[in-house]
Amino acid sequence: MDTVSHVKNSRRRIVATLAGVAGTIALAGCAQNAPQDTFVPKGDNAQKIDTLQKVVFPIAGLVGVLVVALAIYIFIKFRDKGQDIPAQSHGKPTVEIILTIVPALILTVVGVFTFRTIMDLAKTTDTQMVINVTGQQWWWEYDYPAQTDQGITQPIITSGQLVIPVGTNVLLRETSRDVIHSYWIPALNGKKDAVPGRIHLLRLQADKPGIYAGQCTEFCGLSHANMRMEAIALSKEDFAKWVAGQQKGYTSPDEGTKAKEGETVFINQCSRCHQVNGIKDANGKAIISAPDENVYAGAAPNLSHLMSRTTFAGAMFDLVNQKCRDDVWKAKSDEFGAKYLTGVTTDCLNQKNLRAWLRNAPAMKPMYSDPTKLAKTGGKYRGMPNLGLSEDDIDKVVAYLSTLK
Amino acid sequence: MFTPGSKYFVGLTGLALVSAVLYTFLVHPSDLGAFALYGLFLNAAVIAGFSFFTRDGDVATAEEAVEANTEATAPSFWPIVFAFGAAVTLLGLATNQIVFVLGIGALVGGGLEWTMQNWSDRASSDPAFNKFVRHRAVGALDYPGLAGVGLAVIAFLFSRVMLTVSKEEAPLIFIVVAAAVLVIGVLLATKPAMRSKSVVIIVAGTLVLGAAGVVSGISGERTELKVVAEEQPYTVAHRECGAEASAHYDNKANNMVALKSGVAATITVKDGKISAQLIGIPKAMDTITIPRSVATVVLFRNLDSTEHRLVANLGEAKVGTTDVMEKVGTCTQLTGKGQEQAMTVQVPKPSFANGPYSFTVPGVTGEIKLVVP
Repeated sequence: MDTVSHVKNSRRRIVATLAGVAGTIALAGCAQNAPQDTFVPKGDNAQKIDTLQKVVFPIAGLVGVLVVALAIYIFIKFRDKGQDIPAQSHGKPTVEIILTIVPALILTVVGVFTFRTIMDLAKTTDTQMVINVTGQQWWWEYDYPAQTDQGITQPIITSGQLVIPVGTNVLLRETSRDVIHSYWIPALNGKKDAVPGRIHLLRLQADKPGIYAGQCTEFCGLSHANMRMEAIALSKEDFAKWVAGQQKGYTSPDEGTKAKEGETVFINQCSRCHQVNGIKDANGKAIISAPDENVYAGAAPNLSHLMSRTTFAGAMFDLVNQKCRDDVWKAKSDEFGAKYLTGVTTDCLNQKNLRAWLRNAPAMKPMYSDPTKLAKTGGKYRGMPNLGLSEDDIDKVVAYLSTLK
Repeated sequence: MFTPGSKYFVGLTGLALVSAVLYTFLVHPSDLGAFALYGLFLNAAVIAGFSFFTRDGDVATAEEAVEANTEATAPSFWPIVFAFGAAVTLLGLATNQIVFVLGIGALVGGGLEWTMQNWSDRASSDPAFNKFVRHRAVGALDYPGLAGVGLAVIAFLFSRVMLTVSKEEAPLIFIVVAAAVLVIGVLLATKPAMRSKSVVIIVAGTLVLGAAGVVSGISGERTELKVVAEEQPYTVAHRECGAEASAHYDNKANNMVALKSGVAATITVKDGKISAQLIGIPKAMDTITIPRSVATVVLFRNLDSTEHRLVANLGEAKVGTTDVMEKVGTCTQLTGKGQEQAMTVQVPKPSFANGPYSFTVPGVTGEIKLVVP
């Protein structure tokens, strides 16, 4: 092959590669089902970020294109062709001043918009509801302090799905029990780190009822990719119903039922870590879980109203089957609340997922829960271990968990 | 005079200062943005100073320049100091913090000197000029650095003496030494004849202080401090959380100031009343809700005229494997008027099971409820 052909082939390969990369990026932007799309704001705070990026991105893009184009032009125009080195000079005050002032002006414009947005997003004086959010490998816990103006007379604790009323300025007080995590629901606001020993604030507000998906965005260990979150926005009336449901007392299953047998299995196997508020042993004594003795970070999801949420295990797996999931996710705004508040019915329960989890949780979601490898954590688990339940016990536990609404 | 680099950073310094001042007055003086802008101002000023000082890294300007040196640089012992520093740093990682800090000092100092010597040796073929540019660049750092080390050694030796003598003797010694330093300083400044003896006086003083420091270090701290160290009065078991002062627990600050930056709530005592303010919530609260098993920092601020301490009442727990129950809790030290202390609480059990939990201040009515869902 002669030199000319070789050069032409190389150019073709480079062009083809660049075209492939550009095409892939372009196609990636065309996804139909992209619940974590940053550029589709669904709340006031996310809208502010979107408005800012609509100013900054074009400016930054224009500057970037101009710089790259100019550099390419100079590389080509003044490449070494064997010519003499031109006369060298040092310093050009006019050019230096222009090159200092122009970027400074651009940065000033960008800075003004950016600082204004940052200040708006840091505002807390208009808070209407406060929720404590705690990250832990690999799930999120939400606890709602008593707030009588929001109808919350007793603290509420839940996990995986954050439930908020629409049109309400919600302030999340974030922290972490183990490592640094980061909370991000793109449709409702930017991301904010959850750091052990610190409280970080994040505003959320949703315009319409619906489910808004998110993802932990700070690498936090083995199952970081499986640490999801969902914000559920309900109308104020539906939110009041949800609160009432969460504050409902515990009802033990009827004697002689499989669910009652499941309660016994739960007490023996699961309540070491998982709390169900109000559950009592055979002697009538309240059972208090002790995750601090068994879990490295000191907590496990509270399962008091497990069947009121549609996902589990860090919002990673559906508690409802595909048909019921679609029914909720694709519901119209005015119908969403009623469908979500139905919870997990017997027909909708995703038995396959729940049974697989109870059979061998680490097989579904990687966790540090091998009993032989817990020396570094003082014998404590990070994540749920394989409890070695029999199929009969799994049947009973599923029957029992189905009653926790 | 001003090089292009220094001009740029001088401009940035001015811009940052103007922005910071405007921000301080127009937005909020204690806001994060103000700190960021003042930080930018300081950083830009330092870089501008360095750029101006080193003329953007050019060893010499055209008028000063001598023919460039193409010879190898002279032998130097700074690489050995640098390597020694690296070894001591690694050793410090495996042993203790002091060794690590000494290693870092040798590493940074050796590296800096090595770099500057290499830079100046290549400046020109004239050793005298090279020495001049090196002195110009490093001299401003060498003397303050050595003075800082000297002061640290003196402070350390003096502190050994203060920890050995009794609480009554310590202030007297401090006054005598301070007065002696003042008198000698005045004499050296006003009596030119004495200046020739200044080196002798300083060396003699240093030797006396060194000997006193070594003897004190060997004989150890005074008895009451030894008792405090042995009894570990800052553990929860030894905390005395009543209204009265504790001889041991209230004897020494607990060095938790750095934790203030991450406080979840501030509990204030003012006019004999207790109130709580949670970060992010503007109104005063009578209840604090914190997650289970999360280390949570609470700041106690005493605005009363008398000393107070904050007590966290965290229910009860069994003593060991017995059925005997004892109260669980912790407290701050006695805190004076206008002072603050941080307290970290981590509660493993929900309040409905082991509570009620609360924060109280002995001698003050009322309480702040602590809810752990």
